[in-house]
Amino acid sequence: MESAEPSITIQNVVASVDLGTKIDLILVSKQLEKAEYTPEQFPGVIVRLKEPKAAFLIFSTGKMVCTGGKSEEDVYEAVNTMVDMLNEIGVGITQEPQITIQNMVASASLGVEINLEVASFALDNVIYEPEQFPGVIYRMRDPKVVLLLFGSGKLVVAGAKEKEDVYLAVEKVNEELEAIGSLRTR
Amino acid sequence: MEELAKRDAMAKSRDPIILPSGGCSECGSNKLIKDHERAELICINCGLVIKERLMDMGPEWRAFDSEQKEKRARVGAPITYTLHDKGLSTLIDWRNTDSYGNDFTPRRRAQLYRLRKWQRRIRVADATERNLALALSELDRMSSHLSLPRNVKESAALLYRKAVEKRLIRGRSIEGVAAAALYAACRRYKVPRTLNEIAEVAHVTKGKKEIGRSYRFICRELKISIPPTNPITYIPRFTSELNLSGEVQAKAIQILKEAAKKGLTSGRGPTGVAAAALYIASVMLNERRTQIDVARVSKVTEVTVRNRYKELVQKLELDIPI
Repeated sequence: MESAEPSITIQNVVASVDLGTKIDLILVSKQLEKAEYTPEQFPGVIVRLKEPKAAFLIFSTGKMVCTGGKSEEDVYEAVNTMVDMLNEIGVGITQEPQITIQNMVASASLGVEINLEVASFALDNVIYEPEQFPGVIYRMRDPKVVLLLFGSGKLVVAGAKEKEDVYLAVEKVNEELEAIGSLRTR
Repeated sequence: MEELAKRDAMAKSRDPIILPSGGCSECGSNKLIKDHERAELICINCGLVIKERLMDMGPEWRAFDSEQKEKRARVGAPITYTLHDKGLSTLIDWRNTDSYGNDFTPRRRAQLYRLRKWQRRIRVADATERNLALALSELDRMSSHLSLPRNVKESAALLYRKAVEKRLIRGRSIEGVAAAALYAACRRYKVPRTLNEIAEVAHVTKGKKEIGRSYRFICRELKISIPPTNPITYIPRFTSELNLSGEVQAKAIQILKEAAKKGLTSGRGPTGVAAAALYIASVMLNERRTQIDVARVSKVTEVTVRNRYKELVQKLELDIPI
């Protein structure tokens, strides 16, 4: 059975950023209109950007977390915008920000239905508890990602550090599922 | 075929034991069976009698009622994992007489009263044992609430003990792990109890979530794999709760088998699928129960019953007269 190329969409990219200077969070929260800062609840400033759509958690140590980017490029762009904004209000960032992609989440569809019972027996490191969650949770070792497989043939890849990991994982799981005969055309 | 022959042989002998070691000298099969009626060791595969005149390890006496049994038995009750000391404790008798049946002197009686009191106090030696006793009584309480059979209780207690041994309780609540062990034992013995039902009787603060988490954790750490719940296991219970006939039950099971073949159960909650199958069967055989009734006994919503019902009818092309 020649299955169609699985369609993959990256849904979320999370990156950590090191700006290299300490940041005065009170200054940031006062100067930036969009900033949310409630130290009792969370020790960082939260800033949501519209373009590109991303959210930042800024900490006083000069480290940030960028979430909600749709691609790696999105994250870089968002970080640059954020750094510009911070410099504008007088936070002197001299170093080039260190950006590390921490997590990537993608959704994909194999285009065929998956028999989850068969999959849960034949694969290693899987959890299938239909009482609690309708999908199979598959912890793949290499690349080290977690896949959620659903009966409809759609799946979610989480925990990838690179785009290539996502593609590799989907390709691999497709092959594995086909090998154990748990795929079926609709 | 071989499976059938094996079952046949098992049914014939009183207490068959399949010995894993040794093997048949003729065909090499290691499926041997002890036939206690003939006192022979037989190979299931080729029928060779390997040993004759086996020793009978049973008691040499017979008892015809409980009174005789009590008189003749020289041993106590079997050990059980459901008690913190496995039921192997020695107790000071409550009677104030010596072995000849003579009464004690008042002084001696006072002494024994004191000894008894102290025995009660030190029966649980340390904190570990006290926790174990607590967990086991919790297991006992939950399983009687859910009216679970003894083998499940025993198995749950064993799982809990293993978890303690491997130090898996650390950082988890005793009640949570006990409930998880009970859930695992239910799944293992195919005695259907949903996580919800267990969470209802368990004294666990975060309820279902915590029990589910502990369940997955002990399954992983103790390396036990339990297949996903089959909806069919719920059918007998729901059938009797709805006062439906055996025909309806058989029909529902048939529907579920068909559905499983077509992969309609994959990714669906087993209770919901079971409820829908039972509903369809009841309608087909003119013993109709309302969707609300079915939903109530299976503890899913009516919407779930309706959705699963639509799916099953459509995909299995069932002819439903309404």
